[in-house]
Amino acid sequence: MNNMMSVLFASGNEAKLNELTLHRTTASLPFGGRYRLIDFTLSNLVNSGITQIGIVTRSNYQSLMDHIRQGRDWDLNRKNGGISVFPPFVYNSSKEAYKGKIEAIYSIFNFLNHAEEDYVVLSNCNVAANIDFEDIYNFHIEKGAAITVVSHKGYTTSSQRIVLEKAADGKITDVYETEYVGTEEKLISGNIYIIEKDLLKDLVQKAYAHGLVDFEKDILFKLVAEGKAYTYELTGYAAIIDDVKTYYAESMNLLNYETREALFGQEGKIYTKVKDSVPTVYGEGAVVKNSLLADGCVINGTVENSILFRNVRIEKGAVVKNSIVMENGVVGKDSSVSYAITDKDVEVSEGRTISGFSTYPIVIVKGKKV
Amino acid sequence: MLSTKKECVAMLLAGGQGTRLGVLTQEVAKPAVPFGGKYRIIDFPISNTINSGIDTIGVLTQYQPFELNQYIGNGQPWDLDRLNGGAFVLPPYQKGKSGEWYKGTANAIYQNINFIDRYNPEYVLILSGDHIYKMDYSDMLDFHKKNGADCTIAVLNVSIEEASRFGIMNTNDKNEIYEFEEKPKQPKSTKASMGIYIFTWEKLRAYLIRDEEDKDSQNDFGKNIIPMMLADGQKLFAYEFSGYWKDVGTISSLWEANMDVLNPKSSGLNLNDRGWKIYARNMAEPPHFVGQNAEIKNSIVSEGCNVDGKIVNSVIYHGATVEQGAEIKDSIVMPGTKIGKNCRICHAIIGWNAVVGENCVIGAPQTAPVKGEWQIAVVGPEMELAKNSVVTEGQMVGGNK
Repeated sequence: MNNMMSVLFASGNEAKLNELTLHRTTASLPFGGRYRLIDFTLSNLVNSGITQIGIVTRSNYQSLMDHIRQGRDWDLNRKNGGISVFPPFVYNSSKEAYKGKIEAIYSIFNFLNHAEEDYVVLSNCNVAANIDFEDIYNFHIEKGAAITVVSHKGYTTSSQRIVLEKAADGKITDVYETEYVGTEEKLISGNIYIIEKDLLKDLVQKAYAHGLVDFEKDILFKLVAEGKAYTYELTGYAAIIDDVKTYYAESMNLLNYETREALFGQEGKIYTKVKDSVPTVYGEGAVVKNSLLADGCVINGTVENSILFRNVRIEKGAVVKNSIVMENGVVGKDSSVSYAITDKDVEVSEGRTISGFSTYPIVIVKGKKV
Repeated sequence: MLSTKKECVAMLLAGGQGTRLGVLTQEVAKPAVPFGGKYRIIDFPISNTINSGIDTIGVLTQYQPFELNQYIGNGQPWDLDRLNGGAFVLPPYQKGKSGEWYKGTANAIYQNINFIDRYNPEYVLILSGDHIYKMDYSDMLDFHKKNGADCTIAVLNVSIEEASRFGIMNTNDKNEIYEFEEKPKQPKSTKASMGIYIFTWEKLRAYLIRDEEDKDSQNDFGKNIIPMMLADGQKLFAYEFSGYWKDVGTISSLWEANMDVLNPKSSGLNLNDRGWKIYARNMAEPPHFVGQNAEIKNSIVSEGCNVDGKIVNSVIYHGATVEQGAEIKDSIVMPGTKIGKNCRICHAIIGWNAVVGENCVIGAPQTAPVKGEWQIAVVGPEMELAKNSVVTEGQMVGGNK
């Protein structure tokens, strides 16, 4: 029996994802041709034997609910444990949805109390990686840490990222938050933590009583200062997605064999909502190179260096390059799409040209017709 | 006893060995053989059943049942994990002092009379697990009820030349059957039985018991039950079906049916039908990747594949790898297969999880093969084919023979 439960925050890091999270939470952002970001987190938890999972939502959670349903696709429709989704709640006197993680955790104390497990995995849903939480739990216990922060090497971006510095034994020696674009590789927090449940409740209760809202600044930073925080560095592949640029870059990263192996070729499979699409059909006019295609597509044009989600139609003479076409997208006859991210249900009409740039991919909002 | 009445219960005969599929059915029963890029043959009758609004289905297994038991599980992929009803795998079992294998199709149902009785149905739908087709059984059931029939048999109009290969129903102008002929030399009609029956349960139940008492009976629907009912003057009707239907009991028909998936307009077998989805157990594989050197035309490719070779008129099942320089034409590459560099594969079926080494040549020559004039080459499941191997046209390799 596993001694861990989990609380997921569906809505972190939304600010810089612009149009991509206009209609959805970060957790339900489509990624990798047939997944949503939360699929990686949920699959990792399930593969690590963690089946008591609460998901805290803040806004736009309808697409997330539709994706998760009863949790069956992750084998989480359980009698004991399984998924509990917490819709946005108004807990404070200002009648607003929760301001920060502290308030959010405070409001689900009942859920924490009812669970048998003694340790909690707290996680945002913006990291695509294949993680074994069993290893991190063992690390946490072995170090006698108050909190263990899962981290990965990367760069600071214009999006708010937490940078760690650590000693040889994994103890965090410094921590800071930055939005400064750096060129030097740093240890970046994946916003995934392991902490003992009683300690978490204690810290949150005290912080909440003092009107504090920011879990990172008001709790994590203090634990670092006290020398009680450790970091577990993921040395394999991990994509931290917190703005359009990282979303695009990490998507394109999936065209590398090694990245796909690290993410999908491991013992722990990545599960997602089953849609029963038919296999992808290649017609006479299909010319496809270096691309990732989900089931249900119909290809009659050219596709290069791109990712096509389920049920995308590329018509005759159409050319799609360096782009991401989400579910049910249609690229019409003789049109051209390059360096673009077209959201779900976007239709590019016949003969249109859409072009962004490698460092600034153009985003077409869900359901629009170009 | 716990029971909820069901109007109609489906019984799927999935015990067939399928000897004519050779190495493909050495380790699995025929209904478990992969089909159409991501399905198994049995997905078709099961999906038809649930799409027709019938939510209770017994799957009768006997030969190599393990794979099927695991595949069907609790029936969840077909939405058949129900509180009342759902999918049940029914292998032969010990009863009191006796216990025996299913002796024939009718005996298999006879041995499960108790299972059917639990649901106290008005009608029982008998299906077989080796046909590819999409059919709304509820229309057939309406036809059965309207005629006040005791038994309704689905029939397909075949050409008169083909008719002597099938069980043929001779009917009057109201489609009432007066005679059944198994593989007649001089067919009087072209209405071929599709192996799909609806019986009024009360009637069938009585005939199954009577048939079991006859020690000389082969306990077969076509050979015994239907002739017995006709002899007694029961009301048997032929229900004419006019869509795509194919018995995939042989290597060439299995190959042809896969090719039909590639050409839905001409074949009439369209799997991309939102109103009539075919469901399959999901394998949790990532999208397929198409490499820099790939060339894919008029083919279907499923999830989890890695393709860097040339693929023409072929069906590539989930999790297959096709390396650079390999050329695959008019072929079926089943799940988890690995095709090495510079292989030449034409008019062939490569069994699941087979590993084909570099530079192998399998099947007919790549130059100007005409469909239908070549025998299909088969590489058995799980087989490891050394590099530079040659498998000639019509040859079957692998298996433990």
